[in-house]
Amino acid sequence: MLGRIARHEWRMLFSEKTPWVILLLLAASIGYAVMNGLQWTRFQQTTLGNAFAEQKGRYADLKQQVAAIEAGKKPSPFADPRMPDAVGGRLAGTYAAMPPLPLSPLSVGQSDVLPYYFKISTASKESVLTSNEIENPNRLLAGRFDLSFVVIYLFPLLITALSYNLLSSEQEQGTLALLLSQPVPLRTFMAGKIGLRAAVIIAVVVLFSFTSLAIAGIDLTSSDATTRLLIWSGVVAAYAAFWFGVVLFVTSFGRSSATNAMALAATWLLLVVVLPSTLNMAASVLYPMPSRVDMIAALRVASDEASAKGNQLLAKYYGDHPELVSVTDSEKALNDVAVTRLAIDDEIERRVRPVVDRYDIQLASQQRLVDRFRLFSPAIVAQDALNDVAGTGAARYRHFVSLVEDYHTKWRSLFSPMIIKKQKFTAAMYDNLPQFEFHEEAIGEIITRTSAAIGALFLSSVILAAISVRRLRRFSIAG
Amino acid sequence: MNNPSRMIISIAKKEMTEMFRDGRFRLASGIVAVLLLASLAAGWKQYGDLKNQHETAQKAERYNWLGQTPKNPHQGAHYGVYAFKPKSQLSIVDTGVDPYIGVAVYLEAHKQNEFKFRPAQDAATSIQRFGELTAAVVLQILIPLLIILLAFSSFAGEREQGTLRQLLSLGVERSRLAAGKALGVAGALAAVLVPATLIGVLTLALTSSKGLLAVDVSRTILMIGAYGLYFLIFLSLSLAVSALSSSSRVALVVLLSFWILNGLIATRTFSDLAGFLHPTPSEVEFDTALQRDLEDTRELNARLDEIKSGLFQKYGVSKLDDLPINFRAISLQQAEELNYTKFEKHFGDVFDRFEQQNGIYQLGAAVAPLLAVRSLSMGLAGTDFAHHRDFTTAAENYRRTIVRYMNDDILVHPTKAGEEYIAGSELWKTVPEFQYEAPGPLWALSRYKTSIVLLIVWLAAAAAAVVFAARRIQA
Repeated sequence: MLGRIARHEWRMLFSEKTPWVILLLLAASIGYAVMNGLQWTRFQQTTLGNAFAEQKGRYADLKQQVAAIEAGKKPSPFADPRMPDAVGGRLAGTYAAMPPLPLSPLSVGQSDVLPYYFKISTASKESVLTSNEIENPNRLLAGRFDLSFVVIYLFPLLITALSYNLLSSEQEQGTLALLLSQPVPLRTFMAGKIGLRAAVIIAVVVLFSFTSLAIAGIDLTSSDATTRLLIWSGVVAAYAAFWFGVVLFVTSFGRSSATNAMALAATWLLLVVVLPSTLNMAASVLYPMPSRVDMIAALRVASDEASAKGNQLLAKYYGDHPELVSVTDSEKALNDVAVTRLAIDDEIERRVRPVVDRYDIQLASQQRLVDRFRLFSPAIVAQDALNDVAGTGAARYRHFVSLVEDYHTKWRSLFSPMIIKKQKFTAAMYDNLPQFEFHEEAIGEIITRTSAAIGALFLSSVILAAISVRRLRRFSIAG
Repeated sequence: MNNPSRMIISIAKKEMTEMFRDGRFRLASGIVAVLLLASLAAGWKQYGDLKNQHETAQKAERYNWLGQTPKNPHQGAHYGVYAFKPKSQLSIVDTGVDPYIGVAVYLEAHKQNEFKFRPAQDAATSIQRFGELTAAVVLQILIPLLIILLAFSSFAGEREQGTLRQLLSLGVERSRLAAGKALGVAGALAAVLVPATLIGVLTLALTSSKGLLAVDVSRTILMIGAYGLYFLIFLSLSLAVSALSSSSRVALVVLLSFWILNGLIATRTFSDLAGFLHPTPSEVEFDTALQRDLEDTRELNARLDEIKSGLFQKYGVSKLDDLPINFRAISLQQAEELNYTKFEKHFGDVFDRFEQQNGIYQLGAAVAPLLAVRSLSMGLAGTDFAHHRDFTTAAENYRRTIVRYMNDDILVHPTKAGEEYIAGSELWKTVPEFQYEAPGPLWALSRYKTSIVLLIVWLAAAAAAVVFAARRIQA
């Protein structure tokens, strides 16, 4: 029966022009969005490629310089490629990168605002971790037209356009009485109508996005990529299910097509546009992020006081300006400076730590607030999950930063003893410098997080459907 | 009813009465008013906090600078100063790009630094990219929707109810009918907007320690004007579409589609297009190219050799130590000045590119008036990229001032080999304090000629559409 209803509905639906136009628009948006996302991930890949090429060239150059010095060439006093403090601090800075995933083009997420690579040196963690990709702030403000934008914002509107008149059109055409006189319950008709629309629209989104990726030459055959594709499709289906639940709920009141359309549009506006931005505003008012201005001030005071401690004026001076040291005693003086700097840097970091920790604490408070209220907006739940599975969300970034922090500690602990022991760096040591390796989060973590989101979306759609079915039982044409 | 203006007013009154009786309108405008006030309050609080922080920090920096220990002037230049971008008062209404640009720049010897610490990076909760609700968002996105809801059925609705035929049979002139309808919608809208504007202006006045007069009056008035234009465009378009549509349903669908295109799709699409036409270089590319230029010291060496031989000739000496001036100051200052052009080229290229991108974005206003009003609003609030660039230039000039003062002092203090010249607070005091005054409202407007022209074209076209549609109204 259901199949026959769906087949009939298919013929009815696509005999008109509008659904074709809607699907065409959807397909075009998907194609454009995926292309746009691809352009961004390719830019990231090119940038990382350039970074590592730059690093390789720099290392080769440094090794040559070491060889030349060992052969008798006079070293530059402030950029001696054998001095561990110069090497670890400036010369051999190495890149730590979080490369985009195969699915990253589908959701730009926060990847345009948050850094995806850092240049690691022995400098303080704060200064190493404040790297910015150059970008026009206007473009960051506008955001990008990516597939998750299409799914989150436009998808519900298209669902509304396809199904705001599920019953009302029958009522307005006078065919509803005929329909209800059949020995088929109304809910079966509704199931057929909605099921068909849901199947068509979800199939178009999922197939089109994957086809676009495949055409672009993205390899989706690895097991990680396949799992992520499945999760992605699950989130899209769950989000669509939620909106079809809303459609069913609104329809069950049996109002006119115009009223249904208005009610659906208002729901969309509230859940997708107003609620997330209001929640954002609330988070920043209730848990204001301490301005970095305060941190800079604290850093200044701490570094002044640390530098003034002891008889370090000269040392600091040489630290700022090693080229002033006469070449004859440069090695000795520089080493003393280097050791003093180590001590000062440690002191500064120790003193600024509580100020820096406040950012993490406040961000955690904001996120807790968001987590508490996110279930009110399926848009937030779905966007989060899409970012998560695309690898452009907050979780993967935090994972990246924690790996970078470990690596930074490792990098420092490599150079500090050499500085104190006044050891020299050799050409061979450049080849053995540890390189940062990015390990993905276990896929299980992502499955856990996103399946909660998918579950919540499906659950709310089931609840909406259950209420609507009860209402539909009492449905009367007169109503 | 022969007096045309009285007729228009009575039509407007009838429209307004109907709207105020309509529960849906009361609910919608109530929600919009609450959101507008809440966003203003949030903007007010954030502005207050940040303004204090920035002012205190800038004072503290001056204090640090003056209180630094005695040291060689060049080391003083290395100690440097942080410049904090001041918050503009109208950022209460429109925070513009402020979340996406760094709050501070470190001014030190040898180097023009980039602005660090973008607030958006710190507040990176998972919903951050949905954007924050500011008064500007309410004005740019939600109010046009309210206008559409108020106006979409003006004509089409009366036609469906059959009252349009009655009206026209009474001999009411079509143009007066249209004027009356427009005035009615505008009046209903004013009931929401006028109190909100008053509260907004009052909020602005409250944030200024010097009272109402300290508010940047002309910027505020211009901003109100820009939004007024924008609302008039939506009002005229809605009436025209309503008059031309066969049913109110069609009118609503057409208007909502335009609203989605205007508010959701155009911003992203034109921003993407701008980036596609004028790609932004990556930090790695930028930095590598800049370093390559900075490391090339051939010109510096040639210039220094030339100056050196000139000085030897002038003073009749053959050793740097015998010069009555300190040659190191000349070498430092020459290096600085040669780098000016390098920094200007590299930073200038990127900034020019941003402005080209923003130009494309503004042209997008030909399709979506939002892009024009958004650019103008940020510009008038002083939270756009143009103002940021202006501040960047001011900060860089101050950096050059500091370094020049330090080098000038080294110049007149020659030292023998192994000696170190140490300066103290007397020298630090001679460097003037960093002062920054944002450019005036006309400067801000001059950045957005395209937007202004396109807004006016839109209004003219929309008004013409209303006149055209009103003439053709059919019952």
